[in-house]
Amino acid sequence: MSVIRDPKKRMKTAILLPVAVSLFLAQAPTALGQEGWSFPIHEYRLKNGLRVILSEDASFPLVTVVVAYGAGTVREREGQEGLAYLMENMMFQGSDNIAPLQHVSYIQKVGGELNATTTFDKALFYQTVPSNQLALALWLESDRMKSTVITQAAVDRQRNTLLEEHLGRLERDPYLESFSIFDMLLYPDFLYGHPLIGIGEEMKRLRAADVSAFRRAYYVPNNAVLCIVGNIQIPRTKELVAQYFESIPQGPQVPAIPLPRFEQQGEVTIFLPDIPVPTPGFHLGYRFYPLQTGDAYSLRVLEYILMKGKTSRLRSRLFERDRTAHHLSGGLEERGGARALKIFCLSTNAVLADRAQRAIMSEIERLRKNPVSEDDLTKAKRLFKMDYMRRLATGRERALVLVETAVSGRPLESLPDELDRHLRVSPTTLTTLVIRYFIPRNKVVLRLGPR
Amino acid sequence: MKYRIPGRILERAIMAWVTVAVGFAPEIGAQERFRRTPPLAEPRQELKLAPIERLELANGLTIATAFRPQSPIITLQLIIKAGEADSPPERPGVADITARMIGRGTRVLSDGQIENMIEAIGADYSANALMDYTVFRFHVFEEHLDRALLVMRIMLLEAVFTERALAAVKRLAFYEHLDRAKDPEELGWRHLLRVLFEGHPYRVATYNEDVIRDIGSRDVAAFYNRFYAPDNAVFLVSGNVNSESIKRKVSEHFRQWGRRDVRRPQVPAPSPNDRERVCFIENPNAQDATVFVGNVAMDSQHPDFFPFLVLNQALGGTTRGRLFMNLRESKAYAYYAFSEAEFFRSSGVFWARARVTPEHIYPAVQEIFREKRSLSSDKAVASEIEEAKAYLIGNLPLRFETFEGFSEWTARIAALELGPDHWDRSLESIMLVNLEKVQAAGQRYFSPTPVVVVVGRREWILDHLRDFRVVEIYDPSGVLKQTLIKGEER
Repeated sequence: MSVIRDPKKRMKTAILLPVAVSLFLAQAPTALGQEGWSFPIHEYRLKNGLRVILSEDASFPLVTVVVAYGAGTVREREGQEGLAYLMENMMFQGSDNIAPLQHVSYIQKVGGELNATTTFDKALFYQTVPSNQLALALWLESDRMKSTVITQAAVDRQRNTLLEEHLGRLERDPYLESFSIFDMLLYPDFLYGHPLIGIGEEMKRLRAADVSAFRRAYYVPNNAVLCIVGNIQIPRTKELVAQYFESIPQGPQVPAIPLPRFEQQGEVTIFLPDIPVPTPGFHLGYRFYPLQTGDAYSLRVLEYILMKGKTSRLRSRLFERDRTAHHLSGGLEERGGARALKIFCLSTNAVLADRAQRAIMSEIERLRKNPVSEDDLTKAKRLFKMDYMRRLATGRERALVLVETAVSGRPLESLPDELDRHLRVSPTTLTTLVIRYFIPRNKVVLRLGPR
Repeated sequence: MKYRIPGRILERAIMAWVTVAVGFAPEIGAQERFRRTPPLAEPRQELKLAPIERLELANGLTIATAFRPQSPIITLQLIIKAGEADSPPERPGVADITARMIGRGTRVLSDGQIENMIEAIGADYSANALMDYTVFRFHVFEEHLDRALLVMRIMLLEAVFTERALAAVKRLAFYEHLDRAKDPEELGWRHLLRVLFEGHPYRVATYNEDVIRDIGSRDVAAFYNRFYAPDNAVFLVSGNVNSESIKRKVSEHFRQWGRRDVRRPQVPAPSPNDRERVCFIENPNAQDATVFVGNVAMDSQHPDFFPFLVLNQALGGTTRGRLFMNLRESKAYAYYAFSEAEFFRSSGVFWARARVTPEHIYPAVQEIFREKRSLSSDKAVASEIEEAKAYLIGNLPLRFETFEGFSEWTARIAALELGPDHWDRSLESIMLVNLEKVQAAGQRYFSPTPVVVVVGRREWILDHLRDFRVVEIYDPSGVLKQTLIKGEER
């Protein structure tokens, strides 16, 4: 029901609007060179090897403190699956001066928020508090870096809680297990592909001694990054960092993460008809390793062309044109120097699932044979830029970006140019990328449900 | 705006909490003295918020601007002062379906073309029908502001409601509702509102998915024509913006929007529940029982609002609240227990929410009652009230820092026409709360008998609900199936 009642005005609108749609794409090229990361970065190391990153921003009276340890799942040996996750959770179980769970209490008392997570290459601990409570956050983090208490009773209790939670998640989500299986196929190197917990059998065998050894090896200042972002004064912050962290002893030297070894000759397709899932579907992925300089930026833009936004190629093809799928998720992920594009798709029946899989492959073929149009490329870049800038809007997210960059080994100096590098990707580089990497020996398909 | 526990914090808190600190024996050997006790806080830095500026156009449209520092992204929100509660009693859900239909086509543009226009400028769009108002929200870069305004104008002012688009929207809405109904918390909360708003206009907002199929394009058009008018709307722009320039641009696009003289009825405040009511909702897949204990409270303009916020925070705002400490830590009845509140145009609603083991349903409810009585009596202590205030004061900037938090907060202020007490003076309002005001609020709002809603498996009724005097049994869609009375055969 229109609220414009003048028929002449309606006619004018009708003529003008299609023109307007095309102008939306044609005009105003995405700006380059002046946007992206615009926050100061101050970086140094303490004598014990702790890497410190500070970034000042007085927009809100808040400060985020992140501590990242290079202690992700890549540090686990076979038979130790779940150890990194267990250690992350042990960090809340008390230290010399802080009782179990008091860390959470102290942060909540002042209105702060906190969380932690374990990824492939790191364990992250972060909290955002009013900026006048910076010393409190540093006191808490330094105490657990220095003296986390690990007892067999606490390990047993924590492990049981984690396994119970994990089994609950597996019960609630019939597809969850298939994600772990797909990762093991996509990264056929134990260090890179094994899951956070798996089915939990290895975790059940872990002892307090294993956890303590893991802590002594990896939860040490010379394997950690401390990042502080927010309404801070650099000299005062440096004083506090020195006070709380400098006397923590350096740990043993931490070996570099081994380079991945992916031995796969051709396409891998596995069919799992016996996993009881409500509707059939599949995981489809391409692995990219080793990458050439600049390819990571092109891959990110390609991800947006294919999967981001309602009008992206795969969404419009599967949901609007073909109507072969009712769920599509996934995206680009990074594990060390390797990256992968992962797609998870569900259909209402096996015939449609097969058609959806073929449609995805035909869209990849289209990318291989035809350059991406300027309109599609501009749209993808603008959507990427929106997501990128939204991520930089809060101090916590900026701190996490800084830490991820630091742990991955990329120089922090690259951050101010990062957005521009994505925005400079051309149709030619995308075609080259697809031809180079979207090949059978990088491809894995895991099909689920009855056929 | 719900005053609820953010999910990720909750998860972390629960994952990390241990029941008893057995075996914790810190060895304080030779260590620096400063490590033994927490450091003192430095002086608090003020949260400075620029006032929200407003201007009314001749057609009645209010244009408001809220400055947000250092942001390259501008948030555009068109707020229609009509929400789920404004749906006609015979057509619940029509407010939500109307909001979803915006952007699904105009006389000359298809939904695909509109989506393409939105994504071509990198914009992020959402539409959300709440109890009292509906928000259409765009996040855009300043360089695309003019285009975003053009898209919003086209979507909202040129909307047409075809049967084909309506069928697709209804299908999506139906399955979303169906999916949400699998969540015991959603089931419990919806039923609590259903009971508290019996005989009140807000009851229409507590519908289930079955009513969606009855909504036709005439219903949508009628709702649109009744409420989507400039004199019933606010255009709110937030970001690092020049308010004069913004007002001019919005005015260029929306000044031709025809006034309708919308008459929106006043909504009376509902009476609080004050009789014993225990409602059981069957959910065959539940692992634990989900318990809600709630009642009606004041609206957010009432003088009791800030004392009540502090009171509810002390009761169960975090894992340090009384409910969590008692039901989980002390009694081990519950996996979690919190208290929350939501405030509408005419009133508020507060509730305790707990996930408890089935055998502890009755004692857990009794403990919730006991804690509420205790907090509103002289057993409330000044230190816990001060801690609750400290949390609310410290947490407020965290809410404002995110785009979502800032947008939701400002939209609520604009839609409910709240004054500076809810914006740049909200910290001051919280600081002025004291123990006496909290206790007075507790006596007023915690004294009436609350409604109890339990979601769980039918087989638990005989064993675990037998101590309640009367239990009303409902199916998941809210239909009363049976009433059980203590002492009678079940």
